[in-house]
Amino acid sequence: MQKQKTRQFGRISQKKVLVLFFLVLAAFIFLFARIVSLIKNNEMEYQKQVLSQRSYDSRTLPARRGDIVDSKGVKLATCEKVYNLVVDASVMTTKDGKYIETTLEALGQCFPQLDISEIRSFVKQNPGNQWHVVLKKLTFDEISEFKALQSENKEIKGIWFEEEFRRVYPGGSLAADAIGFTRTDNHGLYGLEEFYNKELNGVDGRTYGYLDDDLNLQRTVKPAVDGYTVHSTLDVNIQSIVEKYLQKFNEDHKDHHHPGNGAENLGCIVMEVNTGNILAMASYPTFDLNDTKDLSALLGGVQVEQVDKENGYFEIKKTGKYIDQELLDSMTDDEIMTNLNYLWKNYCITSSYEPGSTFKPFTVAAALETDSISTDSYYECLGSWQVGPHNIHCHNRYGDGTISLKTAVAQSCNVAMMKIATTMGAEKFSKFQQAFNFGLKTNVDLAGEARTADFLRGADEMDPSDLATYSFGQNFNVTMIQLATGFCSLINGGYYYEPHMVSKITNSSGVTVKNIEPRILKQTISASTSEYIREYCKAVVTEGTGKAARPAGYMIGGKTGTAQTYPREGNDFVVSFIGYAPADDPQVLVYVVVDRVNEAKQDNVGYAREIVRNIFTEVLPYMNIFMTEELSDKEVKELEERKLENTLKYGKAMENPDEGSGETTQGEQEKDPAWKSFPIDPATGYRKDPSTGELLDPDTGDPVKGTYSAVDF
Amino acid sequence: MAAENIERTRGKTEHHVDVSLWFALLFLLCFGLVMIYSASSYTAFADYGDQMYYLKRQAVAAGLGLIAMVFVSRIPYHFWERFSLFGVLASAVLICLVKTPLGVESHGARRWIKTGIPGFNLQPAEVAKIAVILFLAVMICKMGSRIKTWKGLIVMMVAPGVLFLMIWKITDNMSSALIVLAIAALMVFVASPDYKKFILVGFLGVAAAVGLVMLVKYTDVFDSFRATRIRVWLNPESDPDDKGFQTLQALYAIGSGGVRGKGLGQSMQKLSFLPESQNDMIFSIICEELGLLGAAAIMLMFTILIWRMMIIANNAPDLFGGLLVTGVISHIAVQAVLNVAVVTNTIPNTGISLPFISYGGSSVIFLLVEMGLVFSVAREIEYRGY
Repeated sequence: MQKQKTRQFGRISQKKVLVLFFLVLAAFIFLFARIVSLIKNNEMEYQKQVLSQRSYDSRTLPARRGDIVDSKGVKLATCEKVYNLVVDASVMTTKDGKYIETTLEALGQCFPQLDISEIRSFVKQNPGNQWHVVLKKLTFDEISEFKALQSENKEIKGIWFEEEFRRVYPGGSLAADAIGFTRTDNHGLYGLEEFYNKELNGVDGRTYGYLDDDLNLQRTVKPAVDGYTVHSTLDVNIQSIVEKYLQKFNEDHKDHHHPGNGAENLGCIVMEVNTGNILAMASYPTFDLNDTKDLSALLGGVQVEQVDKENGYFEIKKTGKYIDQELLDSMTDDEIMTNLNYLWKNYCITSSYEPGSTFKPFTVAAALETDSISTDSYYECLGSWQVGPHNIHCHNRYGDGTISLKTAVAQSCNVAMMKIATTMGAEKFSKFQQAFNFGLKTNVDLAGEARTADFLRGADEMDPSDLATYSFGQNFNVTMIQLATGFCSLINGGYYYEPHMVSKITNSSGVTVKNIEPRILKQTISASTSEYIREYCKAVVTEGTGKAARPAGYMIGGKTGTAQTYPREGNDFVVSFIGYAPADDPQVLVYVVVDRVNEAKQDNVGYAREIVRNIFTEVLPYMNIFMTEELSDKEVKELEERKLENTLKYGKAMENPDEGSGETTQGEQEKDPAWKSFPIDPATGYRKDPSTGELLDPDTGDPVKGTYSAVDF
Repeated sequence: MAAENIERTRGKTEHHVDVSLWFALLFLLCFGLVMIYSASSYTAFADYGDQMYYLKRQAVAAGLGLIAMVFVSRIPYHFWERFSLFGVLASAVLICLVKTPLGVESHGARRWIKTGIPGFNLQPAEVAKIAVILFLAVMICKMGSRIKTWKGLIVMMVAPGVLFLMIWKITDNMSSALIVLAIAALMVFVASPDYKKFILVGFLGVAAAVGLVMLVKYTDVFDSFRATRIRVWLNPESDPDDKGFQTLQALYAIGSGGVRGKGLGQSMQKLSFLPESQNDMIFSIICEELGLLGAAAIMLMFTILIWRMMIIANNAPDLFGGLLVTGVISHIAVQAVLNVAVVTNTIPNTGISLPFISYGGSSVIFLLVEMGLVFSVAREIEYRGY
């Protein structure tokens, strides 16, 4: 230390540091006073200000909509998390827009489907905009590349991803009508999605802020309760089999008579006879649940239009045209919506039609149950019967002769049915129609079941010709679900089960919330009557109109049905077959309706019969129902071609394969009806009745143009 | 206490340990860390996913700073004399480096340069402050009695003036530039035996400031970024959503805190409403959470800190030591006063951090190095028996 030269921090400087200190102290005191005055003058006002600019935003935490699964747990409808791409122009334009180009470049790199220049101009024109959704419902994989870029480069700003759940249907169009779909707001439309909307939706959670007694902001989160899982009774395997054959039928018949689908409607219900569980429910044309507005699904269908009526009512009417691309292009948005709504309907529960002969077992059962007839009654059919002013024909215009009750069902004789119904009387007949829920809803757990009360006259409104035609299933309308459910009770000992699609509801962690057991609503007929009906329906297959429906290796019972649609002058028919197996101990019922097949000649019940046979052939082995009948070589070959391992296994286990007994019975029963002798009219190609001049179909003997008649097999 | 400490000192080997100074310093440092955590945890989690992001970085800087401080305090302060010119030149070079690719931009201004240590960037203005303190201390010792003349004063202010202009113009940081100038002015004021000149300059400065404010208020002569700040200062409510936003939010925070405050951690304004709540505006969060009492405690701690440093300056073994301490006093005092003045909207909004408390690595490290110088001077105080 250079002591000599060292200058001291002199007294003046010491004083000046003190002055400096006091200056600082004065400044602090002044500032303190300023804070005091701030608090004194503004405390309440500023507190309010602070509280008011806090957002106690109660934000909704979306609940995940529950799954719909089939009876084996396969997912029919589920949810996946998706992301909406949001452009925040307000963030992107900060720092003089230095983030815009880097961000847009990254966007363009990761989302080639985006129009970057459009976003650029949007951002420049709306620099204050904070929420501009440019892409919706991206999957995690789709956004992960961008997220990686975003975390690497700090100059990518102003892009958010909004989370959302998207409804996904892994099966696409599988069971589309039965499942239904959801709107974007998670509201179910049609089918299970609508019927179980509340259970599926769960309860949205909420996060919100509130102020406690000390004016402290507290946050509370009420977590979302995820929706329940609905366990359907559907079986995707059976459903797939059914849809495969409906699809095949459509392929086989489309564009045959006119351009368009193979039939205007195809419907099929597969049901457990002893529970009312619906195993499959399908209709055609169908649509893709993941893309419900895909207009190509409309192609080939019949066009409908909305006809407005007074008081805001309207009616959906067919225009008679079939939709092709040209017609589709010419349709307005409203017209397209009308047609889509028509497409989305579930034919099996919302459309009604005249059941035709499939109703005959009901007439017989009611008559037996009321002791109006006995099982050994015989009826004489001369081809038609005079009821009041009407002469009502049998399908077999030249008479079935004198036939037993069993044969009346097996050969589907209209005259016998009219006589039975007349014996019974309108009162009892109508009572039994109600007992089988005709005219009432079945309360199946699906949205949109049609009301059919107006399509059915009660006993007090019925005139004799109504009763006569009702007896063979004409002049009143039913839905497929009504007929299938009623038929189950006919053959299962008289127990009317409520038809249902859902067996169980569980919460998101798998705990059962509700078990839906099969529910017997009523006893429609006695067990002994049911046994007779089973015998008669078996006769339909062994000796009557349903022979061709029998699948290889099984004995089934069933009933055919053909009904001419309104207007009667037209040549349009609804053909159907309802079958059940095994014949003596019914387990499963298959009901198929073919509405206006795309062929010149529609009144061939074989169309429906073939589908039922195909379905039974695959479904019965799948359900582990053992074969009881011997297989013919032809049947073995058929099963081999179908490559059904289960079926083949049972088939080979059979010993002494005998030539099919069914063929023998067929030979016995086959006898030429009277019309087969009529000459064929060279001008039209039809057979001509020499006595009346009426034209008859050369193969079936049915009149080409119906008078007032139900043409039935 | 000071007297006791000095009296207890026996012989040259025992050094003066100023307990009050240590206490005030550590109190401010620790309190600063607590408040940084409180003020920043919300935004840190939102921005970085880590509530302690700012706290960790500041704690590391404070730790490094303390080590540097102890290290510097062990070196006789005359060692630094030879670096006085070098310091000024070095800081001038560093300021220029900001414009090179080494410069780092943050918060919309280019005021930092890369150090090579990840996560820590150097603010050359902080280097300039310590360089000016050292340079002026040496200069004043050399000038001797010439300091009394106007010429001497002006010569003295040349180097700080150049740095002032460089910081202002090159790094566009007028508040740091003004602090450098203020440190220089206060050191010269202490060294010079004269009052009149300073009162005159001070008066002229105040008059100029008032004139400027009047011009801005009543005319449109100035239409720059700083003129807008002055207008907003006069009436923050005129532009509550943009320019006046930060000032207003700070006032809301102070006002709503009341006398006793909302309680530590209970600030609402820090929840993304008050920009830079862990930085320049941390004092308003202190007011909001700890109320008037908290604000008083902070100001009291700064007063104790400055009082203890004044004692050291007055007992410094020589003029150079005394001037060094005076420079540090000036630095800390000017920043503390101006920061509180900004937060309470007493002066126009400008970016000045609160010493030891605000978030900022360079700032806390250099402040602690300066404190090291103060402790170094304190170590060489000899008991002189008065």
